[in-house]
This record gives sequence, C-alpha cells and structure tokens, in this order.
Amino acid sequence: MSAPLRILVVDDEPPIRRFLRTSLSANGFHVLEAGDGATALQTMRDVAPDVVVLDLGLPGADGFDAIQTLRASGSAVPIVVLSSRTDEAGKVRALDMGADDYVTKPFGTDELLARIRAALRHRLQQEGAQALFETGDLSLDFIRRIVTVRGQDVKLTPREYDLLRLLAMHAGKVLTHRFILHQLWPSDADVQYLRIYIRALRQKLEANPAQPKLILTEQGVGYRLKSPA
Amino acid sequence: MIQALSFRAAMTYAGSLALVAGALVAGLVLQRASIHPANFALVFLIAVLWSGIAYGLWPALFASLLSVVAYNFFFLPPLYTFVIADPSNLVTLFFFGVVAIVASNLAARARAEAVAARERAATMESLYLFSRKLAEVFTLDDLLWAICFQIAHLSKARVVALLPEAGALAVRAGYPPEDSLSEADLAQTQAIFDNRDAAAERQQPGRLFLPLRTGRGNVGVVRVERDGNSADRAEGRRLLEALADQAALAIERLNLAQDIERVRLAAETERLRSAMLASLSHDLRTPLASIVGSASSLRTHRRTLDESAQNELIATIEEEAARLHRFIVNLLDMTRLESGALAPTLELVDVSDVAGTALRRAAEILREHAVEIDMPPDLPLLKLDPVLFEQVLFNLLDNAAKYAPGGTRIAVRARRMGQAVHIEVADRGPGIPPDRMERIFDKFYRAQPADKQRAGTGLGLAICRGFLASMDGAIAARNRAEGGAAFAITLPIPARQPALDAA
Repeated sequence: MSAPLRILVVDDEPPIRRFLRTSLSANGFHVLEAGDGATALQTMRDVAPDVVVLDLGLPGADGFDAIQTLRASGSAVPIVVLSSRTDEAGKVRALDMGADDYVTKPFGTDELLARIRAALRHRLQQEGAQALFETGDLSLDFIRRIVTVRGQDVKLTPREYDLLRLLAMHAGKVLTHRFILHQLWPSDADVQYLRIYIRALRQKLEANPAQPKLILTEQGVGYRLKSPA
Repeated sequence: MIQALSFRAAMTYAGSLALVAGALVAGLVLQRASIHPANFALVFLIAVLWSGIAYGLWPALFASLLSVVAYNFFFLPPLYTFVIADPSNLVTLFFFGVVAIVASNLAARARAEAVAARERAATMESLYLFSRKLAEVFTLDDLLWAICFQIAHLSKARVVALLPEAGALAVRAGYPPEDSLSEADLAQTQAIFDNRDAAAERQQPGRLFLPLRTGRGNVGVVRVERDGNSADRAEGRRLLEALADQAALAIERLNLAQDIERVRLAAETERLRSAMLASLSHDLRTPLASIVGSASSLRTHRRTLDESAQNELIATIEEEAARLHRFIVNLLDMTRLESGALAPTLELVDVSDVAGTALRRAAEILREHAVEIDMPPDLPLLKLDPVLFEQVLFNLLDNAAKYAPGGTRIAVRARRMGQAVHIEVADRGPGIPPDRMERIFDKFYRAQPADKQRAGTGLGLAICRGFLASMDGAIAARNRAEGGAAFAITLPIPARQPALDAA
C-alpha cells in the first residue's frame, strides 16, 4: 500500500478546517492545515503536498496571491478553490490563474472529494496520453476519432468533435469559457458561439438535452464533462 | 415715469379747457337766439361737473375759474372786457363761482369713489384668480414661482421668495428669475423674518418685505424691490399683503401634504421592517431549531437509535441547513437589489441550458414532484445574465415545490411569441387568490400568511421581479384553468442571433 496523499487545507475558519480534517482523514488523506496565505506558502515549501484546498476569502495575502505565487514558483500541485456564491468573477479569475477547480460554500464532502479526485486524476493523465475515453453512455476513441453514445455511432462536425475532445481530456474538471474559446477559436470568438456548439453537442449526445447528464453547465463560469466512474 | 405722469396731468387740464370751450360755443349759439345770458351759467356748470367726474378735483376747479372768466368776458356787459358794470351781475358771478367750486368738489368725490370701487373690484378679481392658480399647483417650487410672478406682475418690481432651509433663509424662487441675494440683503431679510413685529423695517425706500404668515408662524418672506423711490399706495400694499397671506396658506397646504406623505412613508417602512423581523426570526429559527435538535439527538441517543432513525436525523440536518442557505441567498439577493449593487452581465444565453442548471440545483427540493420540461430545441438565444436568470427559475421552482402538493406535476415551458420568448413555470397547487395576484410580488408578502407549514422567505418572487427588470424582462402570475398557479416570464428576442457557420 502506498503512502497516503498529503492534502493541505487553507482556510481561516477553524470550524471549516475541523470538518475538512475529519472528512478527508476518513477518506485516507494525510491532512495538513494552514489558517492564512503566508503559513500555506511556508507549508508548501516545507512539505510539498499532493493537493491543495484553498479558501479564496483569506485575510491578508489572499487566496489569489497564494495561487499566483505557487504557479509562479513552478509548482503544478492541483488546487481546488473554496469560493462563495455570487462571486462567479472570482471563480473565473482563480481558474484562469491556474486553479484546477472550485466548490461553492456551503458544499458537501462528496462534492469536494469528487473535485479533488478529478484534479488529481487529470495530473496523472497528462503524463500518459490515453487512447479511449469513457463516461456514462459516452465513449470516445481519440485515435480513430469515433464517438458512440449508448452503442450508437454519432456524427459530429470537426468543431463539435474538437470541443468534445477538449472536454473529455479534462473530464470531471471545469473549463472556463475563456479557456475553451482560446483552445478552439484562437482568433477571437464570442462565448455565444460556444453556447450554440454546446447546445448542438447536447442534442446529439444527451438522452434528454433539457436535463443534461454528460455536459454540465457551471453558470457564469464554464462547462464540465461528467467525470468517468 | 414722471414725464408720463405730468403728460397725463396736462391732458386732464386740456380736457377741462375743451369742455369749457364747448360750453362757451353753446352759450354763443344761445345768445344768437336772444336767450337771456343769466341762463348760460348753467351751461358752464355742466362743463365744470363733467370735468370733475372725468378728471378729478383740480381740473374741475380749473374749469370753474375758466368758466367765471369766460362768462364775464363774453356775456356780462360791457361785452368783451373783464369789467363788470352792473353790481347785480357781480353778485351773479360771485354765486356762480361758489356753485362751481362746490360742484367741483362733489363731482370729484363721486369720481374718487367710482375709481376706488373699480380698484377694489380689480383687487378682488386678481386675488380670486391668484387663489385659483395656487390651488392648481402641487410642488413648492411651482408655487413659489407663481407667487413671485404674480407679485412682480402687479407691483412692476423684482421679487424673490425666501424660505427657511436648515435654519437660515434661502432664496427659493424669483421673478425675474434670480437665485441669489447679496450677503447684506440676505442678512436684512433674515432679521425681518426673525423679528416678526418690526413692521417699520418692513418698508424701506423701494423695498417691501412681505412675511408669509400662517397659524403656525412665519413660513417665509417675499422681498419686493422697485427701481427708484416711487411711493407705494396703501391700496396696492394691502393687495400685496393679501396675496402674501394667500401664498402663505398655499405653502402651508403643501407643507402639510408633504408631512402626511412623510408619515405614510415612515409607516410603510415600519410595516416592512416589522414584517422583515418577523420573517427573519421565524425563518432563521425554524431550521436552526431542527438542526440543533437533530444533532443533539444524534449525540445523545446514537447507541439506542436504529440506522433508519439516524439517517432520518441526518437528512433533517442536511435539508434544514439547505433551507437556511436558500433563505440567506434570498436575503443577500434582496440586499443586492435594493442597494443597487446588482450589475447584470448580459450575454446571449441558451434558456434551456439555464433551465437545466436551475433544475439540477432544485433537484433535491423537487424530489417529490414530477417535473416536465418543454423547450423547443430551436429557441433563439436571449440576452440575459445566466447566473441571475438561473436564480429566477430556481426561485419559481422552489415556490412551486412549496405550494403544490407532492406527487403533482410541475411544468417548465418555453415558447416563442412574436418578438419575445415566454417561459412559464406552472404547478397544480391551490393557485393564487385573485385579489392577491399583484401583491405576491411584494417583499415579505405571503399568499397565506397564517400558513407556517410553507415557511418561505416572502422574498423569492420579489427577487424574481427585480432580477428580471434588470434584464429587460417581466413576470406575471395567473391561475390555470385546470387548477394551480402559473408564472410567466417574458423576455425580448435580441435582433442579432449568432449562426453556427459564423464561427
């Protein structure tokens, strides 16, 4: 059995740290804690944790500064951000600065664990490229460019395929509008085109396009493809 | 002004002269007809009386003098001299003179009374017109302007109205439009306003101060300033004072109306505040009580409770915490709306996408209801803030789940209607009492206030209306023919729609 993954929890609220410590330990993580950005950065240097859970509303050197400092120092450690509702702009900013994902307070442990696992899995995937992707009813053959839903081949336009492939490569992880647009439409394009392509993809892939189960919208932030398993 | 006055005076004397000349011509004609000259005195008296009535005392006396001289010169022997031969004629001339002077006086007095009566009538007329004009005015600024205009018009002077503001008089209106007085003038006016008995000070050469007095004291001052030192007539000043009294009453009327409005607003604010406190304490305490109670049960009786009982308590904690969260979200949204901090980011958005995320968020609340979604795949994109619109749909779904009994169907439909899209959330609950159809969008209003079971915040629909208004949208409620309530959102379709091949 390998050593437990080290997780650094950065939040200035002791009750939040307490419940995260309990829940994450119960799920096999070795939990480290920090109450502010400076302590967090110090712990990062000393211990080099495997994943960071970071509150955006830290006092002093706030969460954004911590993300920036970490990424500037070359660290690729997965970061899951804790944010408040009504702060879509803050979420997008943190993601654009290099955070991997976010959960909105209040959140359940299941949700946070799913985000942490998706972020960790994504780091591992990048090391060895995958030939086949499967989630729910959807499977995607990256080499032969074949998409099937519930056993049926689906015809996608090249642009639709590129969009789906991008989402699949980051499955389970939220992708901001800006990131997707930058990857698919290097010349400038508006988010409204993205919305049209998402609608078209849902109509081809979802059992009920009005209640999508595969391509999920994070309102005001971006899109997330359902994570495998 | 003085030249014009002396010209008018000269004209009255010329008129008297003309009247006497007329009498003389008539006398000469009668002389040809061999009528005795003693009778001609009466002809001259007509000229004197006429002068008195038409021009007043002094022109009449002038006419008397002219008549005596002319009568002597033309009709008393020796003719065409100022000599009087017969002593009896001297007596006649003397009495003629006396009668003429007395007649002048009488005629002039009659004239003065007629003039005064006409002026009184004119005064009454202008007071009446003025009070009618004041009654039609509803703002203080319009009222003050009307007062200044009227007084300036009547007294041919510059007029400013001053009202106390924050303890000191300030110019509020003027005619001709003027909005400032010199420091010295202001201080002087202030002194007169403060010391309301100093009547002597109120009138100074070329200046008149009219206090605006009401039963509750002075409400302001009107300052009248004339060019030159022309004296006011007492009659004119009385008219101005009467106008000032009417103006004061009108100002008081407006002040009272404002006071009543302030009291009404304060009462409304108070009503909202107490409704909010009632809502807050109830809606915060109820879920907290459930959470605290469930958690302490779990701690104390963990060993004796079976697994399903434990799960029940845990579910209660989760659900009630979620309810508390929804309540706080509503409070925050309402605060954002009211503080004007709401800055919608309008983008072209797929409404069915937003409906999808709203349903995902509301899934837990809606687990006892069957939700039916009907959205055509070719709906145009709408200009919306997706986050705010998701909250609108969420609040409507939350509302439907609260009022419609479990097991019933909730429908979410969208349709294109001309240049707009209608999105409707319809339930099979008890519907809305018709007389409350509009009030349900008010803050802290609940269709069934006594119904504690459907504890809501009384904010959800008010937020829907506020958020939609910020996105050019509208919302209306109706009862469905088949039973239940329906909330219909209307949003305009933007002119430009993106096309797939444009990318």
